[in-house]
Amino acid sequence: MNSYNNQRQESVDFLSVFLFIILIVLGFMAISSSTSDINWDHFQLSALATKQIFFLAGAFVIVLTILFSNVAVIDYFAYGFYGIALLLNILVVIIGHEVKGAKSWFGIGGFGLQPSEFAKVATALALAKFLGTYGVRFKGWKNIGISLAIFLIPLVVILMQDDTGSALVFLSFFLVLYREGLPGWVLLSALWMGLLSGFRVIGDFQGVSIYYGYGFLFGIASIVILFFRKNKAVIPLIITIAIASAAFYTVVGSAYHTILQRHQKSRIESVLGLKEDAQGIDFHVKQSKIAIGAGKLWGRGFMKGTQTKMGFVPEQHTDFIFDTLAEEWGFIGTTLFFILYVAFLLRLATLSERQTTIFGRVLGYSLVCILFFHFTINIGMTIGLMPVIGIPLPYISYGGSSLWAFTLFLFIFLRVDQVRK
Amino acid sequence: MENSGKRIVFKSLIVVIFVLYWIRLINLQLGEKDYESIAINNALNKITLYPSRSNLFDRHGKLIVYNTHIYDLSVFPFEIKELDTALLSKILELPGADLLHLLEDAKVKAVRRQKNNANNKSTTFYSNLSARQFAFLRENMFRLKGFFIESRTDRQFASKSAPHALGYLGEANETLLESDEYYQPGDLVGITGLERFYEKEFRGIKGIKTVWQNRKYEQKGEVKDSQFNYPSVAGPDATSTLDIEVQNYARQLLEGKKGSIVAIEPRTGEIIAFVNYPDYDPNTLVGRSRANTFKSLLTDPVKPLYNRAVKGVYPPGSTFKTVMAAIALQEGVLEPETTHGCGGGYRLGNIRVGCHPHGGPLDVRGSLQISCNSYYCQVFRDVIDNPKYANVKEGYAVLERHLRSFGLGSPLGIDLMGESRGNIPSVNQLNKRHGKSWKSSTVISLSIGQGEILLTPLQIANLAAIMANRGWYITPHLIRTIDGITDTAWQRKFKFKHYTSVNPMHFETVIEGMAGVTLPGGTANGTGIPGLEICAKTGTAQNPHGKDHSVYMAFAPKENPQIAIAVIVENGGYGATYAAPIANLLIEKYLNPGKETQKPDMEKRMLESKIQ
Repeated sequence: MNSYNNQRQESVDFLSVFLFIILIVLGFMAISSSTSDINWDHFQLSALATKQIFFLAGAFVIVLTILFSNVAVIDYFAYGFYGIALLLNILVVIIGHEVKGAKSWFGIGGFGLQPSEFAKVATALALAKFLGTYGVRFKGWKNIGISLAIFLIPLVVILMQDDTGSALVFLSFFLVLYREGLPGWVLLSALWMGLLSGFRVIGDFQGVSIYYGYGFLFGIASIVILFFRKNKAVIPLIITIAIASAAFYTVVGSAYHTILQRHQKSRIESVLGLKEDAQGIDFHVKQSKIAIGAGKLWGRGFMKGTQTKMGFVPEQHTDFIFDTLAEEWGFIGTTLFFILYVAFLLRLATLSERQTTIFGRVLGYSLVCILFFHFTINIGMTIGLMPVIGIPLPYISYGGSSLWAFTLFLFIFLRVDQVRK
Repeated sequence: MENSGKRIVFKSLIVVIFVLYWIRLINLQLGEKDYESIAINNALNKITLYPSRSNLFDRHGKLIVYNTHIYDLSVFPFEIKELDTALLSKILELPGADLLHLLEDAKVKAVRRQKNNANNKSTTFYSNLSARQFAFLRENMFRLKGFFIESRTDRQFASKSAPHALGYLGEANETLLESDEYYQPGDLVGITGLERFYEKEFRGIKGIKTVWQNRKYEQKGEVKDSQFNYPSVAGPDATSTLDIEVQNYARQLLEGKKGSIVAIEPRTGEIIAFVNYPDYDPNTLVGRSRANTFKSLLTDPVKPLYNRAVKGVYPPGSTFKTVMAAIALQEGVLEPETTHGCGGGYRLGNIRVGCHPHGGPLDVRGSLQISCNSYYCQVFRDVIDNPKYANVKEGYAVLERHLRSFGLGSPLGIDLMGESRGNIPSVNQLNKRHGKSWKSSTVISLSIGQGEILLTPLQIANLAAIMANRGWYITPHLIRTIDGITDTAWQRKFKFKHYTSVNPMHFETVIEGMAGVTLPGGTANGTGIPGLEICAKTGTAQNPHGKDHSVYMAFAPKENPQIAIAVIVENGGYGATYAAPIANLLIEKYLNPGKETQKPDMEKRMLESKIQ
């Protein structure tokens, strides 16, 4: 517990900070462009870009605060942060106001605060603190239960805010647990369940009887058994897997039809290529792809992306900010951007791995996994490979809560990294 | 070791996703599909700026066709929000069901446009708003999200008397839309008359204003690129050859009778008057009433849309004798002094062509003045049985060639569409009709302008002009000038003199005869105008379907003629009964402009008479 007392003063990781600065500058440019008029006047900032400057200034204050604070304090208050974040997230369900169907905002003056953004860093701190506690390992029902509860509780609370996207982000912690000892077969099972769910949804949509699904599962099982017929020990396992899969296949269908809301189903069906509606989600994805495609090799130029400026792409400054980058800077721009972002993530993964404490490692991997999840879903939806789930692109999208929360997250970790032994 | 393996799993997963997404970007950004033009098209709205059509003036500079503004209610169908159908249905005086129908239509069109990436994203919802609707809508526009009012121009006719010459406008049809990309659905184009013939000149040039338009169809200012913006150019002013005073008077005189009047200035081929009756009020074929009026006109049994002057074909009757005489003189088978007896009719074997009682042996002059049938039977036989030629068919072929040089048997080339050629029978046609062994006696009725010979009123008027010019004509036409247009093919065509194959001196003989027609002893005695030397020829065209048609052609004055005219009154009987008085009154009107007629009784009789 007192391992941070005699702190080694090493400089904060230069490469991460450098990439962070480039990313927020790129983000600011994209926000300015996507929110200004088509007949743009030089040196004139849009109202939203001006607001973003305020958010950037706030982020700068956060950076300084963290860099001059004692890591022990952060460690000490980890559960406290978590508790406050959880309370705020519950509170927002009761007194928050609704933005685009999600009741996840506090209105403060002209600004909105989204507590679910801060819940990510708070949850990471709590999980890191718990797993980093002396004597605690990711083993035994109690410890596993507590670990899961730490991030599944905020997930459920945020689901209650009707903010499915933000809630799903908390699934990233499964990847963190994988690093901390969660067996790989659990993740593979989860993947398998995902596939089964997909087939069930497609099958139901197209009116295919679920008996075909059963037939298919046991057909495969029979072939595999035939293949392993010499190794008798595997056969019961395969049969168990097949039966479990069939049961899951049955249950997931009814769950899909009873639990999910109509618009959520519609999004899932749209991304599975089952639905075509000119004005709905499909239209957004189509417009998003047009925007990205319109960039071609060199891009249409800064401030010249009509797809994004003129509102054909939805949420062009928040969730679909990547479209502005792609339309205005072209393939050259998107490739450079990808290289920057992947370098950033890989660098953070390296930093996570070099941590000397479990606390630092869990915190680092939480950051990496959450950023990776955001990137995969966010970019994936703009290029039509993922369902349209409204989550921002960290450091790029417009918005104070997201920027501040991720800045806080990054610099707490970099500060922890800076003082590692 | 397990953990180092897991470390690699993380980094590999990150790299795999990035590479997958990057490949997708290659596909989107460097692929075949031209997303950039789709994007540009998305954000632009090209608003058509409609030009005014040409104003049309008469030969004295009086405005006869001009433009008025009409207003359409247009819509961006996907922008309609919480439409107050009750309000809209009240303003447009449309039942709710019809309104929904229109909305559906608009949506279908809009979806089609979106699919075709059309530049203009709105569609016309309701065209030609009435003044009341327009005012009412303007007040309520803020309640009708997605709708807006567009302005265009439509035609207005200062004179109602020349509908067939001027023509009317209608919406461009599918064929035109496909063949000429200048037109967009709903555009008004000339369908008939001068509006049709000079469509390209009259329509002007559409302009385009291109604006940035966002997803909510809000305009975000003009696109600052001259390639996307140019103003409309109004159609140039045009001057017609019509004399609208004479035209109006002609229309009055013909009212209540079926027929045509065509008057030409012989020296120039300019058409002074061009009238058909029955006709229609051109101001009913504009605006909102256009479609309904058109439907009822189309089914009207008296065929008010029918342009008799260029499409109607009639046997010329005795007016044809002027041409026969000229050709016979040219062929040398007739001398001015040649006389033939009559005896009340022409007999040959069992064929008899009747004649009316008149004094005995006549020369060319007398035969025209009195219109002796026997005389022309003889002349006709002399021409085609001429021993100069091997047989009757060669003789007839010579006659046919002469006739064709008078502009007969083929369209004259007036600046209107659908002109009929009339009919001058060829040898083949006669062979088919009468068998191969026909003789001059078989086709003897051709001599007096009956049988297979058919002429349009325009061709008869042009014959009068040829007589007036002593042997040539300029293609009759209705447009004199269009501002800014010079030396085009049609302008050269309307200056070209067509000479007939008959020597000018022979026309003097014919004219001597024509000069006597309105004098005592002539067939139109009593219809002449004192002080005016009218050279004329009456005709009574036999009509197998009913009473004979009254036909008359004339020009005046005899020297330096100013006007040539043809009048046909269907079922009007003798040429002198209706056609001659009407033509002579018109000649008087043209030659003595602004003066009262010297024949008020005749004028009154013509104005009041009706033929059922």
